[in-house]
Amino acid sequence: MPRDAPALSAAGAAARTRHILPRDAGWYGLLLPAFLLMTVLYVAPILQVLAISVTEPVPGFGNYERLFTNAGVQRVIGTTLRICLITTAVALLLGYVLSYVITLATPRAQRWWLLAVLVPLWISVLVRAFAWVTLLRRQGLVNEGLQAVGLIEEPLRLVWNEFGIVIGMVHYMVPYAVLPMLAAMREIDPRLLAAARGLGASRFAVFSRVFLPLSAPGLVAAGVLVFIFSLGFYITPAILGGGKTLMAAEWIKLQILDLVRWGMGAMLATVLVVTILVTLAIFSRVVDLRRVFGGGH
Amino acid sequence: MSAAAGHALELRGLSKRYGGFTAVDAVSLRVERGQFLTLLGPSGSGKTTILMAIAGFVAPSEGAVLLDRRDITALPPERRDFGMVFQGYALFPHMTVAENVAFPLRVRGMPRAERDAKVRAALDLVQLSRFADRRPSQLSGGQQQRVALARALVFDPALLLLDEPLSALDKKLRAELQEELKALHRRVGRTFVNVTHDQEEALSLSDRVAILNYGRLVQIGAPEVLYEQPRTRFVADFLGKSNFLHGTVREVRPDGMALQAGATRLVQAVEGAHPAPGTPALLSLRPEKIVLLAEDEGAENEVDGTIAAWAYLGAGYSLAVRTRDLGEIRVALPAWRAPITPREGLPVRLGWAADAAVPVLEDADAA
Amino acid sequence: MGGYASGPFARTVAWATVIYLVLPISIVIPVSLTDRRYLSLPEEGLSFQHYANLLTSEAWLGAIWQSLWIAIASTLIAVAAGTLCAIGCWRLGRRSTELVRAMMLLPLIIPSIVYAVGLYRWFGMLDLLDRFMGVTLAHGVTGIPYVVITVSTALAAFDPRLEQAARGMGASLLQTLRWVILPRIMPGIASGAIFAFIHSWDELVLVLFIASRQVFTLPRKIWDGVNENLDPSMAAVAVLLILLTILLLMLDGALRARRDR
Repeated sequence: MPRDAPALSAAGAAARTRHILPRDAGWYGLLLPAFLLMTVLYVAPILQVLAISVTEPVPGFGNYERLFTNAGVQRVIGTTLRICLITTAVALLLGYVLSYVITLATPRAQRWWLLAVLVPLWISVLVRAFAWVTLLRRQGLVNEGLQAVGLIEEPLRLVWNEFGIVIGMVHYMVPYAVLPMLAAMREIDPRLLAAARGLGASRFAVFSRVFLPLSAPGLVAAGVLVFIFSLGFYITPAILGGGKTLMAAEWIKLQILDLVRWGMGAMLATVLVVTILVTLAIFSRVVDLRRVFGGGH
Repeated sequence: MSAAAGHALELRGLSKRYGGFTAVDAVSLRVERGQFLTLLGPSGSGKTTILMAIAGFVAPSEGAVLLDRRDITALPPERRDFGMVFQGYALFPHMTVAENVAFPLRVRGMPRAERDAKVRAALDLVQLSRFADRRPSQLSGGQQQRVALARALVFDPALLLLDEPLSALDKKLRAELQEELKALHRRVGRTFVNVTHDQEEALSLSDRVAILNYGRLVQIGAPEVLYEQPRTRFVADFLGKSNFLHGTVREVRPDGMALQAGATRLVQAVEGAHPAPGTPALLSLRPEKIVLLAEDEGAENEVDGTIAAWAYLGAGYSLAVRTRDLGEIRVALPAWRAPITPREGLPVRLGWAADAAVPVLEDADAA
Repeated sequence: MGGYASGPFARTVAWATVIYLVLPISIVIPVSLTDRRYLSLPEEGLSFQHYANLLTSEAWLGAIWQSLWIAIASTLIAVAAGTLCAIGCWRLGRRSTELVRAMMLLPLIIPSIVYAVGLYRWFGMLDLLDRFMGVTLAHGVTGIPYVVITVSTALAAFDPRLEQAARGMGASLLQTLRWVILPRIMPGIASGAIFAFIHSWDELVLVLFIASRQVFTLPRKIWDGVNENLDPSMAAVAVLLILLTILLLMLDGALRARRDR
């Protein structure tokens, strides 16, 4: 092995940061297309949203005052937070157990479990929302099935309410919960568990004293990820909420496309972005987005 | 590939600092045309950083790199025309052996026919023509090393740089390839700069060896000179094994001096500057230059001691002899017709000539 | 895993979760084959009439073509920009490109509703609303993160000395890219392309804001269908989309298997 490798790679890194040689110019050039596209077509429009929130209809923080005075906005924020927290809790619980079972499965079984998690992850949100409507609506398959068996007389109200939204959102979020937790759990040395069992610990003791503490970072990462993804969700709540339960994203769309109240829409959009970025900043040490999207499949 | 194609390389006050850490500290040296120079040092001595600065991958903080008196410090690596054999060889895994060797010619836009001829010649040079269509992963370590050599030489580079070229190989293969590398150097007549931490490799391959420690050039010279006349304790210790004898200068004569160490008096030949009487002196004495004296034998220096430990090494014995005034002295004793059968506690009398040891500097004083 | 297995409770919950994940996706298959004119399970026999309806309807086919072209064009943008950016970041080192890397991940973090609102106004100014070009650019930019991530993952396994070796032997930056770096990371680029394609193909929120009549993509058509007339041809579309996604994921799996070898 390279004896001088640490010195050399430190050398390389330092050379890159301290002396930006003309020969590095070409490599900076490679960043340019993505940087320009991102700046002009992504960052600029979003900064404009932030700007609109303090300039329309009149300059100032009037839109933000509504956060404290307007019952409608408060209700939307309350609904959003409530649904997101429930979704996060349920998705984490199901995802955790699933990851636990996957981690302990044989390599062959692991492949099948993973497939069952990853295929839903990449199936269109729209298709999934449609499928849930098919299943859960008044004349849907679930109600008809239960009625045919005689378990219920009247169809249950399973969709176009908060319950439907949570079903659809949890369905979307479980894979996102599984990936970071699975990554964390795979780093746990399996010999530790066998050793603890061999030392006389019960299955529950092994889990609560060894496995749970070691997988905690993955649990936190998954929680943050699922929560911030849920906050801005649009399609699933819009379809499965049936317009009766308003969450932040749909409320923003309503303000801008239907009521043309740009200031209010932009204000809530800004609140959404700030909340997400602050949450991420707080947990930046445990959440690695690259790992979620790059490592799992 | 003629001998005239070799180029001379010079480093002038080369330094490289990373924040507060100095990896290379004002190193100046010259490599003459066609010479084989080895940069030798322990890990962290700065030898690889120097090689990377010569290749152009590391920009020096101070100093200059000159090729035939031309300053090339600011030239990017791709315009230096240096061949390089990387640590681990860095062969392109998605190309065949021939494609790997053709790579430097391809980037220079050489026409196909000429390119093929050169590749064939280069593969012949390292006796790998049969493997032209294999992938690097299908070759042994030694073969990969030779592909790397062919690739580095195929475009008639001004200079060949080798970064620990043999370190990935096992010991036996390494010895074989050392000889091949040396023969290759003679055949192509190019200037080679090699980096290694293996002192044996440095001694056997090089025309000259530069010894580095903590980023500084400690001593540069022919292998024999470095081994026989180390300037500092570090050089004597790093190249081969050595005993270090401490004493005080008692008497100075034109051809030597007398030292006092406790009750023991030593005579020592001196070339060049003589130390002043009363000053402390340090001698480096190689274990193989010490003999065991029989009862009727004498030597310029004689010391009594007892064997504290010993080991049989095949070709010889290694003895650790405890003495009263000079501490433990290591002795290499040929096993063939050894005058004694070593055992612990056996009293022995050690002897060596006045010119067997060399006065060396403590490294702190050398700086 | 080393002689330690999960308990029956955990396994039951895990199975229930997997059924929950897979159920809605699999239920649309029989529904799409129903012999009735409304959403239901087949009663007297299987029928492909809803697929036939779909594939002869100009509205559906038009939407599919538009989605396909937009997805292809935006994938090209995302792959070109994302690959170059990932290579640049890799070579220049983590510290000097931290901001750029973070910026490239923004579209994954910021809700599309926020971007859609901003883009609605921005494209209004640039006269890109309801234009093929506008939707393509928007999908291309938001597809960049997928490419950056997969290519970065591929580069992490790439020996940086190969790049040094190429430069040391006189290769220019472009020659090094073309002959040494790109061939080695091709599977990563292909993965990125697949995910960027899926992203554009399924994207709806942006389209709802920046397109109306001229550009009418497949997700937009499905959206209208879900909100207006729930009929079995919707299930047929859903099945086709699911099959396409599975096909693309299998392709990605095959590419990864080749890379890992």
